[in-house]
Amino acid sequence: MPNIVGIDLGTTHSLIATVSQGVPRVIEDAAGRAIVPSVIHFGRDGAVHVGEDARDRMLEDSGRTISSIKRFMGRGLADVREDLSFLPFEASEESENIIRIDVFGREYTPPQLSALILQELKRMAEAALGEDVRNAVITVPAYLNDAQRQATKDAGRIAGLDVLRIVNEPTAASLAYGLQEQKQGTIAVYDFGGGTFDISLLKLREGIFEVLTTSGDTHLGGDDIDQALMRMVREETGRDLDTRALPHVGAACRRAKEALSESESVRLEIPEVGYVRTLERDAFEAMIAPIVERTLLPCRQALKDAGIEPGGVDEVVMVGGSTRIPIVRSRVRELFGRAPHTELDPDKVVALGAAVQADILAGSRRDTLLLDVTPLSLGIETMGGVVSKIIPRNSTIPASASESFTTYVDGQTNVKIHVLQGERELVGDCRSLAEFDLRGIPPMPAGLPRIEVRFLIDADGILNVSARELRTEKFASIEVKPTYGLTDAQVESMILESFEHAEADIELRLAIEARNEGRQILEASAKSLGSEEYDELTAEEKQRIEEGIARLRSTMESDDHQAIRDAIEANEKATHRLAELRMNAAVRRALKNKRVREIQ
Amino acid sequence: MKYFELFDLEPRLNLDTAALERKFHALSREHHPDFHTRATPEAQARALETTALLNDAYRTLRDAARRTEYLVRSHGLEIDSSRAPASMLMEVFEINEGLDELRAARRSGSAADVLLEKAGAIRGRIADKRRTHDEALSRASERWDALIGADASEEERRDHLRTLAEIVAQSSYIRNLERELDEEAPR
Repeated sequence: MPNIVGIDLGTTHSLIATVSQGVPRVIEDAAGRAIVPSVIHFGRDGAVHVGEDARDRMLEDSGRTISSIKRFMGRGLADVREDLSFLPFEASEESENIIRIDVFGREYTPPQLSALILQELKRMAEAALGEDVRNAVITVPAYLNDAQRQATKDAGRIAGLDVLRIVNEPTAASLAYGLQEQKQGTIAVYDFGGGTFDISLLKLREGIFEVLTTSGDTHLGGDDIDQALMRMVREETGRDLDTRALPHVGAACRRAKEALSESESVRLEIPEVGYVRTLERDAFEAMIAPIVERTLLPCRQALKDAGIEPGGVDEVVMVGGSTRIPIVRSRVRELFGRAPHTELDPDKVVALGAAVQADILAGSRRDTLLLDVTPLSLGIETMGGVVSKIIPRNSTIPASASESFTTYVDGQTNVKIHVLQGERELVGDCRSLAEFDLRGIPPMPAGLPRIEVRFLIDADGILNVSARELRTEKFASIEVKPTYGLTDAQVESMILESFEHAEADIELRLAIEARNEGRQILEASAKSLGSEEYDELTAEEKQRIEEGIARLRSTMESDDHQAIRDAIEANEKATHRLAELRMNAAVRRALKNKRVREIQ
Repeated sequence: MKYFELFDLEPRLNLDTAALERKFHALSREHHPDFHTRATPEAQARALETTALLNDAYRTLRDAARRTEYLVRSHGLEIDSSRAPASMLMEVFEINEGLDELRAARRSGSAADVLLEKAGAIRGRIADKRRTHDEALSRASERWDALIGADASEEERRDHLRTLAEIVAQSSYIRNLERELDEEAPR
């Protein structure tokens, strides 16, 4: 099987990894960088930059930069209104259940934007491995719902990747530590990243990792700590931070936060808003204690769900940049009564684990198996807007359930089924997942058809539905309307679009290169027009040169690289004799100088 | 009864859960989609279906309450957990009354320690109920296993399944009470 890569598609940064000679390692770019900031910059010349390049442009050109796109994946407008206010772009009017971000007149859905990041990672891996990369395992926070997982898979497809598996980040992390070497034990994975928090408890027996329970908060992360610091700056400067100041304040606060993991105090200096103070670690810890406390709530819930006492956990694995913060480590140590694993880089551990899972799928490891769970209960709407649960949360996936449906009217040929995710009793309190329209039911008196619908959550945590009428053994066709997601047809058209744009992107790059060359030629021509040799030319030759220059100058405005190239070529022909003359003159001058020197 | 068959087990209610887990792991190693990524699409679909069924079966059989419910339902008996079972009407009435009082006290803004005390009293009552119920389930399970082993008549088994159905209904009713209390007074 060709190479399968593991990808950690993160809120703030992303990585790609692979297993070579049995050892997982993250892939680096030519400059030796493994961490790709999940930032996209749309340049004025139409070029799209991703990663470090984009982040470098973020400060001075924040109006053309998108970050934290992961927060929008699989979500509706009402969910992300606040996050949207941090983006320099508006969502188009059609956005409701799928966000469409208007980037200078072109609309992008979150999966299309994530695909740009995935393509960058893919390019990086292809350059490093020297071969095509088509198959990938992509990680997601454990607590993501169906729509968010599906959106991640869609992003992969749009980027030209065959996503063989969606894996939960904390479970991937447990693979990275190679804990399967131990015979048995209970593992807690504490994953505190930029935007999300997850806790998972796993049971290990003879190489089988069985996830017992997973819990978390999809809106709790290092960003909240940055924001706490930014609030402090705002209060102490006593002024609102405008969109120009905000990125500078944000960057300074992030740096201060990171520095406080190493030193006891830090000087927080933001000249852009005239702010300076010294921040002690004690004060910082007091400020963020409530945020750290919020992570312990899901931990206790997970322990309760699994029926495990905190002391019954044998290994604690730390994942995510926020676990570098000393108070986070000490609170986790207090809760579980043991020192957590911090040997691996918490920013890389998820990608390394994804590579191990990729290795399992490639058939290289028969000894290790990961049995993950679905984080949310699956239910269907019944009479009176009540949700009837059919697959409980924390069920090992793949998992399935069958339900029978019938008709209420004579001759009824279709039945609608509304599927939801969540733990609450009422439809309004759960997350709508999709509406399934069963069609082609043979016409029969009301109540007679028995349609068996099978709900199957696959190993990616994504729902598949099939249905058949039991009396006639006919398969009913199903039309799916995902509530928060793209239909298959929409994804297909986006894949096509991305190919078209890939072509357009290449065209654009060729045009940029041709223009650069054209510009150099125009500069050189301007010089040669003032030379002695130019005067030696015939009037006709001079006219041809002037026409050539004019033509090149006019094509420089267009994006048509071929036209620019043609003009460059014509120009070269027209100036051929002039170039010759100048060359000869240069040689003569060189020889003359030599002779003079030799005489001396 | 296909869940029991999948694990090569007789449909008994007292199971060796450690042995069940070992069998589950062995079957997972055989069928899990992770080990069939290079198979034909049909074989991959089969691996997915088999593993889903295996996981459903393990989830059901490893838990005593779910196992019993599955046994009862696979014999075509319905379980009605929407009403309080007749056998526990009196206690349930008292517990519900307690829950109502707790709600009223919360609305009127009673002190936290008063609420805690009220919730604690109800929790104790529900726990008592849970204990006697678990004992009843364990006794009834042993009886069922004895009936499987002996040459019991179809009628006798059917009768006992009805008793089990009643116990399962009680169990889910108690679970609802526990959940209601947790919502009202989270621990």
